[in-house]
Amino acid sequence: MSAPDHNHPAPAADDGHEESHVGTYVTVFLTLGFLTIVEVFVPSVYSAEWNQTTKMLLLSGLALAKVGLVGMFFMHLKYEKKWIAWIAMMPVYMGVFAILLMLESVYRNVGA
Amino acid sequence: MTTADVAAAHSAHDHVPEDEHFGSATGGKVAMWMFIAQDGMSFGGLLVAYGILRFSAIEWPVPSEILGINLTAFATFLLICSSLSMVMAVEGAKKRDQKALVRWLAVTILGGIAFLGIQVYEYNHLVHAGIGFAESAWEGQSVNNLFGSTFYAVTGFHGMHVLSGVIYMICILLGSMKGKYTQGGISYSAVELVGLFWHFVDLVWILVFTFIYLL
Repeated sequence: MSAPDHNHPAPAADDGHEESHVGTYVTVFLTLGFLTIVEVFVPSVYSAEWNQTTKMLLLSGLALAKVGLVGMFFMHLKYEKKWIAWIAMMPVYMGVFAILLMLESVYRNVGA
Repeated sequence: MTTADVAAAHSAHDHVPEDEHFGSATGGKVAMWMFIAQDGMSFGGLLVAYGILRFSAIEWPVPSEILGINLTAFATFLLICSSLSMVMAVEGAKKRDQKALVRWLAVTILGGIAFLGIQVYEYNHLVHAGIGFAESAWEGQSVNNLFGSTFYAVTGFHGMHVLSGVIYMICILLGSMKGKYTQGGISYSAVELVGLFWHFVDLVWILVFTFIYLL
């Protein structure tokens, strides 16, 4: 039953409807590699004490850009229906909630 | 069973009916995304805890002065390479190209093993240099003990995911060698699922590398 039928072979998954994304994958890979190189140099460029906020914002932005590329292209979120994306975003909702709680805590401590 | 029956049975199993909300995603794919979402929250909890402990600490060492950034950047690049080889493996499975699937999956597994090797080397180096899980010292000076605790907790949790991913991929590789995932239709979906898990492991490491090593 599970053996392939050679007279009527099952269609390939793409069936000609899905295009190959190999070119996109290679472009994303090269971009990720480049962003990683940039990341490694950021701490040494912004090592001074007064530069710490810039360093933090820059590194966080680079990391989020890389995460977005992996999620959108390697994990195919770009090609999925929105419901999959909503599920995938669950940690982000929790992250925003956690940040709000922390900001509230900071605000209370500053006011005390 | 006639040939026509077999073909009809195949077509029933080879295509997922289009769903209004999830499109042609298989149940397995939706389930994997739900698992990834909850696992992402576990990592998120660890990273948030790290952030709170670090920024509320009076003294915290500069991570880049203790941790080997260049070696870890290389390990990060290895994981990115393995993500590329994984998407190539999925492409191979979709195109019913068994050789490509086996080859790219094997490359991905090697990437995962190399990453684990680097992590073991790094742990060994750090432990001998005085950075322990419970107590930490660096070049004769004591440092905040939480530095070592949080470092090993977060990177160790991720390392366990890499190990799980490697074992998972080896299981899929064995099936691939028997041609299980290159029969057309949705037979490739098991490869797609292990791919999703592996990309998630890569995605989390991008954040761990930034927040634990670079910041």
